Amino acid sequence: MEKINIKICTGTACYVMGGANILMLEDFIPQDVKDFVHIEGSTCLEYCKNAELGKPPFVKINDKLISEASVPKILDYINHLTGKDF
Amino acid sequence: MNKNGYFIEVDSYQGYKHNQLVGGDVFLSTKIKEENRIVSVLSDGLGSGIKASVLATLTATMASRFIVNYIDIKKSAQIIMKTLPVCKERKISYSTFSIVDIESDEHIRIIEYDNPPYILLRESRIMDVDKNLIKVKPRRKKESQLYFSNFKAEMGDRIILLSDGVTQSGMGTPTMPLGWGISELRMFVEQIISENKTISARELAKRIVKKAMANDSFRCKDDITCGVIYFRKPRNIMVMTGPPISKDKDKDLAAMIDTFDGKKVICGGTTANIVARELKRDIKVNLRDIDPEIPPPASMHGIDLITEGIITLGKVAELLEMGVKQDSQDGNAAQKLVYSLLNSDIVNFVVGTKINEVHQDPNMPVELEIRRNVVKKIIKLLEEKYLKEAHLQFI
Repeated sequence: MEKINIKICTGTACYVMGGANILMLEDFIPQDVKDFVHIEGSTCLEYCKNAELGKPPFVKINDKLISEASVPKILDYINHLTGKDF
Repeated sequence: MNKNGYFIEVDSYQGYKHNQLVGGDVFLSTKIKEENRIVSVLSDGLGSGIKASVLATLTATMASRFIVNYIDIKKSAQIIMKTLPVCKERKISYSTFSIVDIESDEHIRIIEYDNPPYILLRESRIMDVDKNLIKVKPRRKKESQLYFSNFKAEMGDRIILLSDGVTQSGMGTPTMPLGWGISELRMFVEQIISENKTISARELAKRIVKKAMANDSFRCKDDITCGVIYFRKPRNIMVMTGPPISKDKDKDLAAMIDTFDGKKVICGGTTANIVARELKRDIKVNLRDIDPEIPPPASMHGIDLITEGIITLGKVAELLEMGVKQDSQDGNAAQKLVYSLLNSDIVNFVVGTKINEVHQDPNMPVELEIRRNVVKKIIKLLEEKYLKEAHLQFI
């Protein structure tokens, strides 16, 4: 399986719009894909300054930008990448 | 900082009598910026709890106001003794005080009334100071004895003020039936200084109080207070927050923090990104300790602390206003920053004035203040409540 890199923005706007909850993401990743997922935090990714990209909180999974991110939304996308159902 | 190149650090530490939520000792310091003068008062009110707290607060406030306004000490003492409310049980009104008045030319005057004698440390040794006895007799009251002393401060001097809770700690225990006592305490202080010659006022006060509390097995029989005044080499800190108003200042911004001599803190993701880009360094966000309120801190080579911007600064202002004890680096990013600020003497704020428009979005669930207003609030608190020196620079 290919490595999945997840970058969570911890900037002000993302944090207050729900990003704080996403920082617990690691606890929700299923055991069998855990080894392939790399989670890191980031200082402001500055996507919030461009309204066309959507609304905060922002999370970047590999090259895909997810706006209005939430834990279920991220899990869905990991699901899509791994082709697994959980 | 004064013309002799030293900074006067004033700090205190307190332990309350067992089962009391309020202290009956008060340590109050006032800085008169225009006169470059500091007045500190330690007062111990009769009894403990609220009643003692009221007596001590009244005494400390009056004493510091009188001294600040150069009212004769005899007269001040008389007014205080006459004003204090009379205790219902004991039929007396009583509160001790020690007043330290530091004038801009480092001339120090100390007035003591019934507290344990203050300790003057010079070059790691305890000095004896000549004291004059002043007798005060308020009308229809018993004569009281005050001690007055004065001397000139030198770089490295420390003045230690104590409440009797310190010297009497451990009283009644088999190892120290008469309490810790002033001579044992002096030896303890000299020991600490010999181990750590540059120990901060804050840390020294804490060490003394913790030892006194340990003497009482952490069930203190009285309020325990120690205030320390330290004429020290200033510790500098730079707090950089906010991107510059124009992009071509980014380089200057990065150079400013890179070349700064002292502790370095960046508050704000965008600001940290600018510095990282200009200095070609990486930022790593710590995701191990997540706090529900405050975004996590980050690290970069050469920078001591990186935090998020406005939420963290707002919290810092709140913590400083509440006056919480922050004894260690532990805790969220705001607590870490409070710790760094309190362990510095001169705080240099560099504030970028660019407004982050996203923060002004009415859909934001919390109200985010304008950066420079929060910084101004923090500066006011640092100067007035914590007697720090603070500088503000906009970029």
